[in-house]
Amino acid sequence: MSDNTKITLEVFRYHPEGTGQTASKPSYDRYDVPFHDDWVVLDALNWIKDNSDGSLTYRWSCRMGVCGSCGMMVNGEPKLTCAAFLKDYYPKVIKIEPLVNFQVERDLTVDMEQFMEKLESVQPYVIRDDVNQTDDGEYKQSPAQLARYKQYSMCINCMLCYSACPVMGSEPEFVGPAALALGHRYNLDNRDQGTSQRMDRMMEHEAVWGCTFVGECSTVCPKNVDPAGAIQQAKAASAQKYFKKFFVPKGAGK
Amino acid sequence: MSKSNEAFWWSLFSAGGVLAALCMPVFVLITGFLIPKLVGGKEDPALVFYDMFSSMASKWPVRITLFAVIFFSLFHCAHRIRHTLMDLGLRHSTGLLAAICYLSALTGSVFAVLALIRL
Ligand code: SF4
Ligand code: FES
Repeated sequence: MSDNTKITLEVFRYHPEGTGQTASKPSYDRYDVPFHDDWVVLDALNWIKDNSDGSLTYRWSCRMGVCGSCGMMVNGEPKLTCAAFLKDYYPKVIKIEPLVNFQVERDLTVDMEQFMEKLESVQPYVIRDDVNQTDDGEYKQSPAQLARYKQYSMCINCMLCYSACPVMGSEPEFVGPAALALGHRYNLDNRDQGTSQRMDRMMEHEAVWGCTFVGECSTVCPKNVDPAGAIQQAKAASAQKYFKKFFVPKGAGK
Repeated sequence: MSKSNEAFWWSLFSAGGVLAALCMPVFVLITGFLIPKLVGGKEDPALVFYDMFSSMASKWPVRITLFAVIFFSLFHCAHRIRHTLMDLGLRHSTGLLAAICYLSALTGSVFAVLALIRL
């Protein structure tokens, strides 16, 4: 590639809070950006912000697929922009938009509030009835016990799966793939004792039963978490619990 | 936030999925390929198959197995179709949609019982 090869980015712009010229209806701006083999979409956005339009707003942090903050729609697909190489799109125009199924705050940043609430609602942390004294040592876990949930613990909360999920688009109350997968991850953890209280939430209509097994979440997940698989397992667990309540009298056990 | 009876329908769905995936290919293999192959060009395979099948299906365990496969597969289809239609946007009259889907599966099952009893 010669040094002045360019690639065009068509970027979604929206500044709802401004006045006059800066107040905008949603629109698209085009930028010609230097093309390099080893540049990702995020590099191109940083170049725009540094050289051509400082008002462009987006989130990023680690640049290495760990923090989960740089998710955007790249040509209509939810992607981590730090992992989407320009060379995979060159010489075509690349269209960059905020993640769908979320409210836009400004340009490419979306409102994460509801996602955070849903995540919190499944209590994604180890719950104990009793907490050991530090002197008693750590809670033991064998490699086999770790392997049961390890895959589901790799989630970086990038929310790409929420943009890919068609249920999310039509039923905003749906708890969604990442949160359900994380709830399931803690249910599978041998150190945890909170399955019962977590399941109260996960068995709701808007939780695991909202899923219509489309599977797009697992297709787009950059960390191979397979949230769709986690939800299917959680459905089986919910079904067991559902039938159990007809056979086991109330309060007779967990 | 609401409790859900979806677990019940989902259980029928998942049982149907397993049975359909395990049994259907075997049935197709036996009735579609093996029997015509064994019978060769000698006789009409449909006739030979009818004789074999009716003597087999008059046994109760076979009838019950066939019924289970049909019943669960129908509910599997009903559940799948219901959710596909919901994904396509039919989210307003979900109760009616569920009723139509599952009643169809039930009707099919009743016909299956009648047919199996008369075999
Ligand atoms: S499950 Fe995958 S796609 Fe969804 S938030 Fe976690 S890492 Fe991202
Ligand atoms: S910048 Fe951290 S995941 Fe992309």
